[in-house]
Amino acid sequence: MATASNVTHSHPSPERMSADLLRPLLQTSWRFYLLVALLGSIVAAGAVAWVTQMFFGFGISGIRWPIYWGFYVTNFVFWIGISHAGTLISAILRLVNAGWRRPVTRCAEVITAFALMIGAMFPIIHLGRPWLAFWLFPYSSERLIWPNFRSPLVWDFFAINTYLTGSMLFLLLPMIPDFAVVRDKTTGLRHRIYRTLALGWRGTPKQWHRLESAMSIMAVAIIPVAVSVHTIVSFDFSMAPVPMWQSTIFGPYFVAGAIFSGIAGLIIAMAVLRKVLRLQEYLLPLHFENLGKLLLVMALLWGYFVFNERLVTYYGNEPSEMTVFWQTQRDNYAPLYWTMVICNFVLPLIILGIRKFRTITGCVIASIGVVIGMWLERYLIIVPSLGHKYLPYSFGSYRPQPAEITITVATFAAMCLLYVLFAKVVPIISIWEMKAGDHPSPSLIPPATEHHKLGELHL
Amino acid sequence: MDTTVLTAPQDLAAHRSKALVVGLVGLAACGLGFVLNRDQFFRSWLIAYLLFLGIALGSMALVMIQHLTGGTWGVFRRVLEASSRTLPLLALLFLPVVLGMSTLYPWTHDDLVRADEVLRHRQPYQNTGFFLARALVYFASWIALAWTLTRWSRRQDEGDMSGNMLLQRVSGAGLVIYALTITLAGVDWVMSINPHWYSTLFGFLMIGGQGLSALAFTIVIATLLVKDEPMSGLLKPHHFHDLGKLMFAFVMLWAYFNFSQFLLTYAANLLEEIPYFIARINHGWQYLALFLIVFHFAVPWLLLLSRDRKRNPARLVWVAAWILFMRYTDLFMLVTPEFASTGQNLHMLAGEHESLFFVHWLDLAAPLGIGGVWLWMFFTQLAQRPLLAFGDPYLRESMETAGGGH
Repeated sequence: MATASNVTHSHPSPERMSADLLRPLLQTSWRFYLLVALLGSIVAAGAVAWVTQMFFGFGISGIRWPIYWGFYVTNFVFWIGISHAGTLISAILRLVNAGWRRPVTRCAEVITAFALMIGAMFPIIHLGRPWLAFWLFPYSSERLIWPNFRSPLVWDFFAINTYLTGSMLFLLLPMIPDFAVVRDKTTGLRHRIYRTLALGWRGTPKQWHRLESAMSIMAVAIIPVAVSVHTIVSFDFSMAPVPMWQSTIFGPYFVAGAIFSGIAGLIIAMAVLRKVLRLQEYLLPLHFENLGKLLLVMALLWGYFVFNERLVTYYGNEPSEMTVFWQTQRDNYAPLYWTMVICNFVLPLIILGIRKFRTITGCVIASIGVVIGMWLERYLIIVPSLGHKYLPYSFGSYRPQPAEITITVATFAAMCLLYVLFAKVVPIISIWEMKAGDHPSPSLIPPATEHHKLGELHL
Repeated sequence: MDTTVLTAPQDLAAHRSKALVVGLVGLAACGLGFVLNRDQFFRSWLIAYLLFLGIALGSMALVMIQHLTGGTWGVFRRVLEASSRTLPLLALLFLPVVLGMSTLYPWTHDDLVRADEVLRHRQPYQNTGFFLARALVYFASWIALAWTLTRWSRRQDEGDMSGNMLLQRVSGAGLVIYALTITLAGVDWVMSINPHWYSTLFGFLMIGGQGLSALAFTIVIATLLVKDEPMSGLLKPHHFHDLGKLMFAFVMLWAYFNFSQFLLTYAANLLEEIPYFIARINHGWQYLALFLIVFHFAVPWLLLLSRDRKRNPARLVWVAAWILFMRYTDLFMLVTPEFASTGQNLHMLAGEHESLFFVHWLDLAAPLGIGGVWLWMFFTQLAQRPLLAFGDPYLRESMETAGGGH
């Protein structure tokens, strides 16, 4: 990419780079503790809400007949969607060898790991008796009642676990050389911890070569896994003969939506990191501009999917689908529906479509819109359809209760908390990849020069 | 760069006249078919037409993607542009479909519409006048896009770089227009053959299929070109590697879309949707379905895994040619099971009818006829421009990058 050289050459010197990127690990201010305490207390409130729900039963939530999926499943789909930020963006950028990816990839990969963990919690939170969650697992069951292999929920179990394993590897592999750097800069207990994490990294040519092979395999392998995960999440809906759920486009629609919200989440995270950790010299306006363009493309794609889904449903004119169709289009759910359209389509199109507005602030505003819009999208897929199934006797409405709202808020806090803690213990921008960007070699990882062989001393 | 050396080799003229001969013979056979069995003629024509329309439109979409993303496969831009410039001919070749509307589409019959609630609901949208008006809009926008793209590309050749930014903007807008029009055209021209079936994924099936056809066709043509000067010195293995990788991705997309559609329709088993698949997994069609799974997906997928094959045009071209044939088979599968072996649309016959597997001789004549004439037009267009978009500022980069390491 032509832009690669322009970006990397403006970077600070390797020594400054190490100092800048390791500063958050080595110095701790009172603001960090305050932030952790604040976020931690919100997460604790969520935990209390969950325990309360377990103790008093599911009746304290708003989830009741006929709407059995409410905020929890919305959050589940939403967080799994956000998790597509990392792997897909990072893997695709690695594959096309986009030079500007270097400071972005780890920020993105971390989102994947944490958002997946949070998302995967929700099917369990959604259970009245969470201690029976293992019924989803393929444990030996001689009567073959559980697990039901025809249920997409079981497929979810496999898909999400595969994805979690894969994305953890994808995140951890390029962290090894950075752990080695931290190992060499610390003493005492911390030194011993990082020494374990660094897995004996010495920066020998052989090690670099192996890392390079592992990363190129992972980058290719993770893409089909990521696509399959959100396709299978979409099958949770589309495998059920519920109006407006049973739609063949749901697989690609959910995948596109997931990438869409993932990019938005990444832009917000990067903007916060840039401000808080003073990374202005690393996360440049160009990165936001490029991600903003990707977000714009995804907004257009999202618009296509929604238009297409609506059009073909209208074309098919199946009565029960049309009930749900009009519910969202102009009746009870219309305010939410049009808010979603504005947040996901109109706002990004205006802000990101006009070059002048495609600044960091502009990208962040559009991204916040998209995150809200995508959450609403999942809500609007779930609730109106469940509330208007085929016969009027099963019509109903949904009103979220304090327990659900608290848990929902708590997961956002949990995401922030995990991110803050991660940035505290691992350099959030991959140091060696930044340095590798200064090398002229177009390959993923620079050839092992003297500089790298002495990684332990110099990197 | 000396541009005179970039003219098409003499061989092309020979291919061009051969294509024209084949095309005229095919068209004559089609004319005979029109007289002998009009129903079959229209059905076969539509299928063959969709294949070549797919190559042209897919090529146009790839040109636009190329303008937006860059990448080493930009060296094939002239082939893609030449395909997209055949759209005026394709607009002409659409006329038999217009003539055959009443044989192909049940909603053209007022008595059928009156008797059917769904068709009545759709009547304001789906009627002869609006159908033709929409077709006019589709072709007008496609031709306008192709024309704009290639005109500005010529300006680049002349050294005028002022249009480079505009090319990108037009490509962005053009992709949106393409996606919308092809989705609507797919509904109009194919989905509405079966009056009750609908699938939200259908637009994507069209787009994915067209992209795959265009890539396969470009590989075939590029392999033809690489044999002679000037392209023999310019096209390198990594250029073919790029196209091969893209084709590999599209083969997987095709499988992904079709699997999603099949699984969801099969599992839901709803009255509006399932007849589409019941027709295709019974009465001999199931063997064609299996054939598609194995030879449109599994075998090309396995073959394209090989890095060496993707980098060697002499080997890659066989996969590409095979995929073109499979594209035709896939379109055949999309359309034909909705017709009785007499060539009549099942949904217009009184009572219950099922389609038994059949192939008509017109299914050979129509692709030869349309394909021959289309190829003639394509080679004419290809010979008109230098074979390399040498004015492209990104081209130097794509010629120099060793690339293709993954």
